[in-house]
Amino acid sequence: MAHSDDDRRLEELDLLRAPTRGEAARRSARERVLASAELPLARRRHVSSSWEVLAAWGRPGLVAASIVLAILAGTLQPWREWRDETQPVALSEVLRGAGASDAIPEMLVALAEPDADAVVAAALTERNGNGAGVPDDFEQR
Amino acid sequence: MAAPAEGASPALDELELVQRVRAGDREAFAVLVERYAEQAFAVAYGFLQHVEDAEDLVHDAFIRALERIDSLTPGSGFGAWFYRVVVNAALNRRKYISRRRTDDVPVTAAALDSPAADSERAQLRARLARALSSLPAELETIVILHDLEGFTHPEIARVLEIPEGTCRSHLSRARRMLRDLLKEYQPRS
Repeated sequence: MAHSDDDRRLEELDLLRAPTRGEAARRSARERVLASAELPLARRRHVSSSWEVLAAWGRPGLVAASIVLAILAGTLQPWREWRDETQPVALSEVLRGAGASDAIPEMLVALAEPDADAVVAAALTERNGNGAGVPDDFEQR
Repeated sequence: MAAPAEGASPALDELELVQRVRAGDREAFAVLVERYAEQAFAVAYGFLQHVEDAEDLVHDAFIRALERIDSLTPGSGFGAWFYRVVVNAALNRRKYISRRRTDDVPVTAAALDSPAADSERAQLRARLARALSSLPAELETIVILHDLEGFTHPEIARVLEIPEGTCRSHLSRARRMLRDLLKEYQPRS
């Protein structure tokens, strides 16, 4: 429970009050503070002006960059359209391109297994010329 | 907070002053120094009971405040924030001084600098200073701000960032403790 004395300040505390300083002492104390503040204040001014310079250069820079980007976008669009168009290609180009790699040229890929009789017949025809007979040693081989 | 010092420019909005100080404006900083230096000195003296120590502390507190002014949240007053810097610095400084001293003489009593007219008065002053510094830091701060420097409870609440009700109850408790301590420190005749 609070005592009634707790609501009263101690009169003796006045003894601990700061002495009144003369105007000269006050001024001297203020000047000392301001002298020490010069460097931090100058640093703040420098930082502040650096940002201003950056902002002053940054704004036109941003505009210039936007213009360059717009021009680039305008130039690239027709080129991209031209590139995407289907160009006619010669068959020889395709075969040559496939032959350069290990891949089997698409033109030589068969859809079904070759007929063995047809292959033999074709081979014989090629060897003996058209209409030539079967060689004598055919059976022995 | 206590009224701005004479010669300052109270018309200048404090928020604007702080903004200008952030940009490195010397004049704006000078206005803040003019406005708060005297009261800050009185508060510092309340803790340290030594003129030169109190002046050094206020000097350092202003420079520290200048370096950390960016951490001052917009809208909160410079005054309450600055007095908080002063109070914290004073408590730290006293801790440092008491560690530095190796004799048994109470710090505040040893640091008394103004010659008292009679020894009885000087002794009472020493006892008061000793009793005050024996209080828990928050209670001591409230007594110094309220009973010595005339801050109101709402002002102290802002400085210490505590509820106003807590401030009032702390003050009552601090006064009771002070009275008890003074009786305890009474010289035996």
